[in-house]
Amino acid sequence: MVTGIERLTALVNGNIIDRVPVFCNLIDQGAKELGLSIKEYFSKGEYVAEAQLKMREKYGYDSLWSLFYAGREAELLGCKKMIFSGNGPPNVGHMIIKNYEDIHNLRIPDDITSHPVFEQPLACLKILKNEAGTKYPICAYTTSSMTLPAMLMGMEKWMELLLFGPAEIRDELLEKCSDFFSKHLQAYKNAGATVFVYANPFGSTDFVSYKQFCDLSLPWMIKDLQQVGTEGVVYYCGSSRMNPVIDKVIESLGLKTFYLSPMDDIAEAKSIIAGRALTAGVINDIELVRWTKKEIVREVRRMFKAGMPGGKFFFGTLVMPYTIPEENIKYMLDAVYEFGKP
Amino acid sequence: MNMNLISKYNEAIFDTDKKKAFQIIEDALASGKSVEEIVFEIIVPALDHIMDYVGKNMDVNLAQHFFASQIASEITEKMITKFASAPVKTENVILGTSQGDFHGLGKRIVAGCLKIHMINTIDLGLNVTAEEFVEQAILHKANVIAISSMMYHTATGENGCLRVRKLLQESRLEDKIKIIVGGAPYRFDHKLYQTVHADTWAENGNSAGLVILDLIKKAQPW
Repeated sequence: MVTGIERLTALVNGNIIDRVPVFCNLIDQGAKELGLSIKEYFSKGEYVAEAQLKMREKYGYDSLWSLFYAGREAELLGCKKMIFSGNGPPNVGHMIIKNYEDIHNLRIPDDITSHPVFEQPLACLKILKNEAGTKYPICAYTTSSMTLPAMLMGMEKWMELLLFGPAEIRDELLEKCSDFFSKHLQAYKNAGATVFVYANPFGSTDFVSYKQFCDLSLPWMIKDLQQVGTEGVVYYCGSSRMNPVIDKVIESLGLKTFYLSPMDDIAEAKSIIAGRALTAGVINDIELVRWTKKEIVREVRRMFKAGMPGGKFFFGTLVMPYTIPEENIKYMLDAVYEFGKP
Repeated sequence: MNMNLISKYNEAIFDTDKKKAFQIIEDALASGKSVEEIVFEIIVPALDHIMDYVGKNMDVNLAQHFFASQIASEITEKMITKFASAPVKTENVILGTSQGDFHGLGKRIVAGCLKIHMINTIDLGLNVTAEEFVEQAILHKANVIAISSMMYHTATGENGCLRVRKLLQESRLEDKIKIIVGGAPYRFDHKLYQTVHADTWAENGNSAGLVILDLIKKAQPW
């Protein structure tokens, strides 16, 4: 039986064994799988690992996630309150930066691995690595320095600081966030993660202008990654488009995988990338909640028609809302496995 | 219409150049423009002009939307204090993020846009219950409740817009109070506003200003 790592390795070399690799981001669904509340589910690494392994087995896709929820990074930096929901990811309920003084006082832990908040993700990673580390890529979610402040001070205040300054306070915060980023990624790497999703919506021209991307985002991206390297790093801007920056990112950082937005034109991305990196076509999984089987198949067919020519293409999902009917996930994957054949 | 001035002002907005935007307004005042002309003939149409690009031009991004709204709001606030007669703000709009949602950027852009259109905004902040939305709308005799959601589950959850609709139905206030929703999930599914039983939706914070103005006209006066 072909494994996810074999499919991915083949793709990097320009080949497809039986079908293209498929990254299906089922995160909160693990709670449903184990019959637990979302809050209870995320309380133990062994629950997350068990559900990740079960869901991968059940649906047959190629990826495993060590991610609990994005707000975990804010918890590592001192956030004391997460707001849990019955049907979606938890929200950061306490902004650790309320004023500039809090930026001066922000301390980045020297050792993430031994941090109590990292204990359960570590337990999860240990199980995933032992059970499936040689067969399937284990993904870790790491937020870029330009984006992390939104989780620490709120998007409004971060946008205000970014656009209106003071620049020295902004840079002090970015410096600390970049330091955190590299330590965080390194901790995941040491624990056995093999794919690092570099979450960087502020590296998209949906968030900032191309000029701001070049002047502000890019230097911090370079700084983030120069300390940990780009091996296994996937460029990801959340739901924001990245086509206008792909060429610059390849040229400046040499990243080898681009995980598009559902709003990006796949054929255009392929043409920009021109074989220099892998391209993930990403389905609009918000509409997937209500699409019929026919609509799902039509969309998957469209994506593959745009992505397959020239190779080095694989399939991905975005955040997969908790309420997507299970049968729609199956319809999507059945279509992907069919259209993703060589 | 001061097309040349509007164009120069918007250029500064696209460049997110606050100093330049303020300088253009200062120069316009120095050349004899009244404060009323600044607001109604430059700031308001300039923001409307920006909206022409929404969704069609990648360069109109979130930072520019935020910047445009904040600068327009700041200039308007300054100009209003010098108006010959204070503008009468009659319509009230209730604004907030849905329960469980702590993302306030879109809401803030909307508030800035409404301010320049002389609409009174009651901002309830983040994580607002459906009951609070409706209670405040009744208290302020508002014609519109605007609910912003960044996440799919807070947009579609039963304690969000769906419950606001239910409460309005029960109070028989649907003719007087209209609901608009906005935020990321709605951009990814243009039919989602129907799923949550809103009256309409807006693609982004700046266009929400105009959609709300239109919605106010459709609501029955109190």
